[in-house]
Amino acid sequence: MALIQFENVSVAYGAPSHPVLSNIDLSIEEGEFVCLLGQTGCGKSTLLRLVLGSEQPCAGRVLIDGVPHNQPDPTCGYVPQKYSLFPDKTVMGNITFGPEVSEFNLFTRLTPRYFRRRREFRQKAMQYIRRIGLQDADAHKYPDQLSGGMQQRVAIAQALVNRPRILLLDEAFSALDPGTRRDMQVLIRQLWRGTGVTLVFVTHNTHEALQLGTRVIVLARETPNHGSHVALDLAVPSSRPADEVSRIVARLDGAAGSAREPEEFTSAVGDSTPRDLAAARNLLPNGI
Amino acid sequence: MSGGFQLVHAKPNRTAAILLSWFLFVLGIGLYVHAAQKRHQENAEDRVVPTIPHMLHSTYDAAFKPAEDDEQTIGENANIPQRFLAGMLWKDTKASARRFFYSLLLLIPAVFLGLHMGLFPYVGVFFSRFVLFFDKIIALSLLPILFIAFGIDELSKIMLIVIGVTPTIILDTFNLTRSVPQEQVVKAFTLGARDFDVAYRVILRQIAPRVLNSIRLNLKAVMLFLFAGEMIASTDGLAYRIALLRRHMGMDVIIPYVLWVALLLFLVDMTMRLINRKLHPWFREA
Repeated sequence: MALIQFENVSVAYGAPSHPVLSNIDLSIEEGEFVCLLGQTGCGKSTLLRLVLGSEQPCAGRVLIDGVPHNQPDPTCGYVPQKYSLFPDKTVMGNITFGPEVSEFNLFTRLTPRYFRRRREFRQKAMQYIRRIGLQDADAHKYPDQLSGGMQQRVAIAQALVNRPRILLLDEAFSALDPGTRRDMQVLIRQLWRGTGVTLVFVTHNTHEALQLGTRVIVLARETPNHGSHVALDLAVPSSRPADEVSRIVARLDGAAGSAREPEEFTSAVGDSTPRDLAAARNLLPNGI
Repeated sequence: MSGGFQLVHAKPNRTAAILLSWFLFVLGIGLYVHAAQKRHQENAEDRVVPTIPHMLHSTYDAAFKPAEDDEQTIGENANIPQRFLAGMLWKDTKASARRFFYSLLLLIPAVFLGLHMGLFPYVGVFFSRFVLFFDKIIALSLLPILFIAFGIDELSKIMLIVIGVTPTIILDTFNLTRSVPQEQVVKAFTLGARDFDVAYRVILRQIAPRVLNSIRLNLKAVMLFLFAGEMIASTDGLAYRIALLRRHMGMDVIIPYVLWVALLLFLVDMTMRLINRKLHPWFREA
């Protein structure tokens, strides 16, 4: 059974005649690294929120392990683009928040057991802090004392420390500079391999999606008033060489009418989503 | 390219900042002294603009002697602290401060109500319309009703403050709660938090410095309602004394009392700012 299953899901804000997503049928297996690709406003984040349970479909069902999922819970870890950390807590406080609230409520936090366990939580958090490449001294910093890249590293550690089955990243690297973004891409691949978590990664950057994911799902609209549907579902070998990725990106984007040289895409972080997907599909090499 | 000196970017140095910030105080005192001298040259018994030495003498009496209506007497051998604690100023300050701090304590439930209204939709729906309506009632117009319902005792004065200020605090907290990004709430649930963890460990902690600021900015309103209550129905307190002395044209005590109240409010304000900074080192005011 697929871990995440979309069954004929539609979502509309306001009039049902103007859906954001329409008739999505999709399944994601345990352990996959799925990149959701599409233009701004095509419903990528909505799809993510459906998995998260913070949004409900107007038709169809979203199942996790065969069970309808309709509210956020620790099954899914979540890293949004903005507001990913609690500003009032230090790096340590942000990472230990999950283990603490999972085990202790407002009253049991007053017991001696809590103080014993807190030491263990902190030790575990410190391991994560080192694993994401931060210094021990960073543990006591507040989010606004960290760079954007460091904040997102902490947000990923915060989401992973509870060992969720699914990790959802919503354009988590979009606001980062190209260098930091590349570092984060390496980190997320390492963490995914190391933890075996099922990862759903929303991006509008074709290059990033092809480089990171084991699978790329492209959302597209047929007409302005029609909700997005799954336009392309690619299985991507994870060991694909960088120049090959650049070539595929160039073909996909070239099909979209933005004729850029492949080299440009190595550093491009902007919107590079294919528009004419039928043409792009025809241009793809065999085996993708 | 535009030329000319831009005043927006002209920043005073430390000395200039100190001189400029104290200038109006010095000017005000200078003008007062001049006016007092002039009036006293014309009429040595003038009570409207008392001289500074006269005010200092009256302030000393207020600080170290009981009020005329006070039955307590001080022994000849009483030391300065004993005299101060038996003095009119301290007793009036104590009475007003007691009402003031009770009122502040009663604002805490208002904060929790606003928090729950902002976070839990059912609580929001249940209370918001009522609080919005309640907010529009002029608290002072309720004074006669309060005196009838609660008597002219302490309770009516405290209730006046509570009715006057709580709706503002409730609505401020409600809006602050609503302004916390939804991502934070969703994130907390994905980390295993329950409803009340989200309320108290995520939202309340994030809005606490702004709520404290809101209360700080409403201190003047608290004092306003406190003074209204004391002036109309009280037998002690700073405002009672001011109202009483008004009948005798006692400007030599009224002016020091007004300045004393301003100084106390300023100190409370400073203390709250300090507490806010110490409790929330992560908070940067916009």
